[in-house]
Amino acid sequence: MLTICPYFHVHQPYRVKKYSVFDIGQDTEYFNDASGTDMDNRFIVEKVANKSYRPTNKILKELLDKHPEFRFNLSFSGTVLDQFEAYAPDVLESFQELVATGRVEILADTYHHSLAFFYSVPEFKRQVLKHERRIKQLFGVKPRVFRNTELSYRNDLAKWCEDNGYIGIMAEGWEKYLGWRSPNFLYNPPGCKKIKVLLKNYKLSDDVAFRFSNQGWADWPLDAGKYSDWINANHGNGQTVNLFMDYESFGEHQWEDTGIFDFLRHFPDMVMQHPDTSFKTATETIEAYEATGEYDVPEILTWADTERDLTAWIGNDIQRDAIAATYRMEKDVMSTRKRDLIETWRKLQTSDHYYFMCTKWSNDGDVHAYFSPYKSPYDAYINFMNALSDLKLRVDHVVKEKAVALDATAAKAADALEKTPQTPLEKVEPDTDPTEPPAKDDEPPAEVEPAAEPSKPFFKNVWDRLKKIFPLVSPERKST
Amino acid sequence: MKVLTFSWEYPPAKNGGLGVACFGLTRELLANGVEVTLVLPKTQETRGDARFLFADTERLVRMGENEDLLFGPYNQASTMIESIIGYDATGKPIYCSRSIMEEAHRFAHQAALIAQMEDFDVIHAHDWTSYLAGVAAKIASGKKLILHVHATSFDQAAGDNVDPSIFKIEKESFELADQVVTVSNYTRNIVLNKHGIDHNKVTVVHNGCDAEEVKELPPTLVELKAQGKKIVLYHGRISIQKGVDYFVRAARKVVDVNPNVVFVISGWGDMMTQVIDQVGAMGLSEHVRFAGALWEDDRDRMYQCADLFVMPSVSEPFGLVPLEALQHGTPSVISKQSGVSEVLTHALKVDFWDVDEMANQILSALNYPVIGQQIVKEGKLQLLQMSWNKAAQRMKGLFQNLIQYATS
Repeated sequence: MLTICPYFHVHQPYRVKKYSVFDIGQDTEYFNDASGTDMDNRFIVEKVANKSYRPTNKILKELLDKHPEFRFNLSFSGTVLDQFEAYAPDVLESFQELVATGRVEILADTYHHSLAFFYSVPEFKRQVLKHERRIKQLFGVKPRVFRNTELSYRNDLAKWCEDNGYIGIMAEGWEKYLGWRSPNFLYNPPGCKKIKVLLKNYKLSDDVAFRFSNQGWADWPLDAGKYSDWINANHGNGQTVNLFMDYESFGEHQWEDTGIFDFLRHFPDMVMQHPDTSFKTATETIEAYEATGEYDVPEILTWADTERDLTAWIGNDIQRDAIAATYRMEKDVMSTRKRDLIETWRKLQTSDHYYFMCTKWSNDGDVHAYFSPYKSPYDAYINFMNALSDLKLRVDHVVKEKAVALDATAAKAADALEKTPQTPLEKVEPDTDPTEPPAKDDEPPAEVEPAAEPSKPFFKNVWDRLKKIFPLVSPERKST
Repeated sequence: MKVLTFSWEYPPAKNGGLGVACFGLTRELLANGVEVTLVLPKTQETRGDARFLFADTERLVRMGENEDLLFGPYNQASTMIESIIGYDATGKPIYCSRSIMEEAHRFAHQAALIAQMEDFDVIHAHDWTSYLAGVAAKIASGKKLILHVHATSFDQAAGDNVDPSIFKIEKESFELADQVVTVSNYTRNIVLNKHGIDHNKVTVVHNGCDAEEVKELPPTLVELKAQGKKIVLYHGRISIQKGVDYFVRAARKVVDVNPNVVFVISGWGDMMTQVIDQVGAMGLSEHVRFAGALWEDDRDRMYQCADLFVMPSVSEPFGLVPLEALQHGTPSVISKQSGVSEVLTHALKVDFWDVDEMANQILSALNYPVIGQQIVKEGKLQLLQMSWNKAAQRMKGLFQNLIQYATS
């Protein structure tokens, strides 16, 4: 028995429009380019919908209707779902139809396609929960298997997933950590008892995702028959072949004229001509097979480049500076409790922004081989940092306003306290008041971080007493 | 292989990019086993191991030290320069004013004589002031000719309003040459589209750069630095080609946002008065400093003290200055209308006319110092790939092709 576990990742970022120093403090919209170019998010979603999402979903639906054994997995970033909803609702509906068959599993992910796990676990968790709610709302399912941005993975991420109830997690099947072993089995992360790792068979995955249209490749042209033979050659040498790739491989990375759609249309038929080959979703795979060993990944592993690391995102100084500046704002952004500020900040966490600043290839003049809407990595950085600087101004403004308001309240209350005997106050139980109202703004309470401490230590003592009387403004309220 | 080379400029005389390029290329050609005989228009000090001939010695006429000759090839053809043509009985020099055009013709006349006396395989002439010399040498010797285009009349005019007499020399010489080499694709396109030369004849050999470790010099502008001012530097000729007026307009926009910036303009040229007037009219006197023409250590100290270098050229065939700045650890904003932007990835690039974007890039580079840090770090590595040796090897290949073609 050999099963195939295909997984397609669907994602579009909110690209930052041309945003100059002179726009800081003037323009609070960073993602609304309407130029009809590669910075125009609506334009891109519509373009890719026509080239990839619509035709591919049509084929996938036909395949599901035709083959009761056919199964696959999808993962969506929240940012692509939001853009489908706004720009191409029919695409979202077609995905919902696929999921409604019960044979298409949705994986857990970060909402904003971010690298938050490596910078702020609390923020990461909030994004995962937000993603989970969104998937529930749109598809009515709760993901059980996790995959992280760019398939980034590390032992501690697997542990986090186990602790948070996931039964499986996806990772690259990389020789450095596999050694002689095959990616076509399940493994356990070290220190975990239940969760299993599904490893990408990068050779077979990349044959489709990257090499399919490469005429210089010895095996070009690839047809479904030849590819099925390669897959079926794994009988006796594995249990599951995990084919992980970008959904946009179909029609966008590999254009229609390469024959990619015909390939997809015929693949299930051809591969299942072998009587013992079938398909499984991620959950089915995990439930069907036992782990055969330990997959120990102490350093960050991704599915990118020959290095399989994050250097395309955080490999140079401007990238590291930009991402550090983004996460430095976390405390202040969260303390504003303003949904629009938090959401904008999160959109700026999407990994693509940092990828556009990559200079890894530019020394070979090869930068154009990698898609970027910006003219150079430096332009991308300047654009991003200007937008981030504007956001920071807006956040600082709110933080300052709140601090002033709190000071005023505290001063007033301090006056009142002077005239009141203090003993009864000690009896008031803090933090457990069931009548505590939700946050003033509409950010769901589950996501809200503790508010910032009032800025002036002078009021600290007054504050400690005050919060016992006024839980409404308590800064100590625990988040989830 | 013996090459007879004609050039108008050569170090250590104070000169622009042409002299630097000739020097770098000649040095590396010699290192690659090419024998170079370099002919210069007048007797001067020289540097390096090439064999030198001077086109004024034949007539025993020495030209005087003359600052006007400094940027000779970039002046209008009718610009008058003064030369010493002899000495009177009391030993006083006799001056004669001639136009650059007349000098170029005199150079050509001498070139024909030299070509008949010298033994060589191929002729190589740099820029329009030497084209006539190259053509004359070709006619006199029957040897193949390569013209090397470091600039065209279109760059100097910063538009289509070119000096017709220079254009005529360029076009006719290109047509007579066996091969035309340009320092960038940018310039190649001008030669193809404006001069109408057959594209098979025009090849790009990008300039190189000497990636030697520079010495740290005593700081300059210390009082400004002590006040926490940021220094943005322009260095080059002050002429319409170089776009200094756009630089000043960007400066206004920068200072409106960040008054803590001082713009230093180093150089001299025919637009000097206009630029000074513009600075006054825009109320920028406090924020712009004119440093005069800086050379050698003074120039390098300025490179080292600047936080950012700007090359706003309207039309720049190559543009070595951002590479020099980079060697001194200073990042650059460079015009996209330049050859160097084809080979230097690590710089901020802007259309010279887009003053808003230029200001945006200047402000951003000052605001986010990590940009400069990264540009310098990776840019220095890229400099190592841009050696004169690479350019010389390409040239040697072109010489070989022509010689083979000539003998077969």
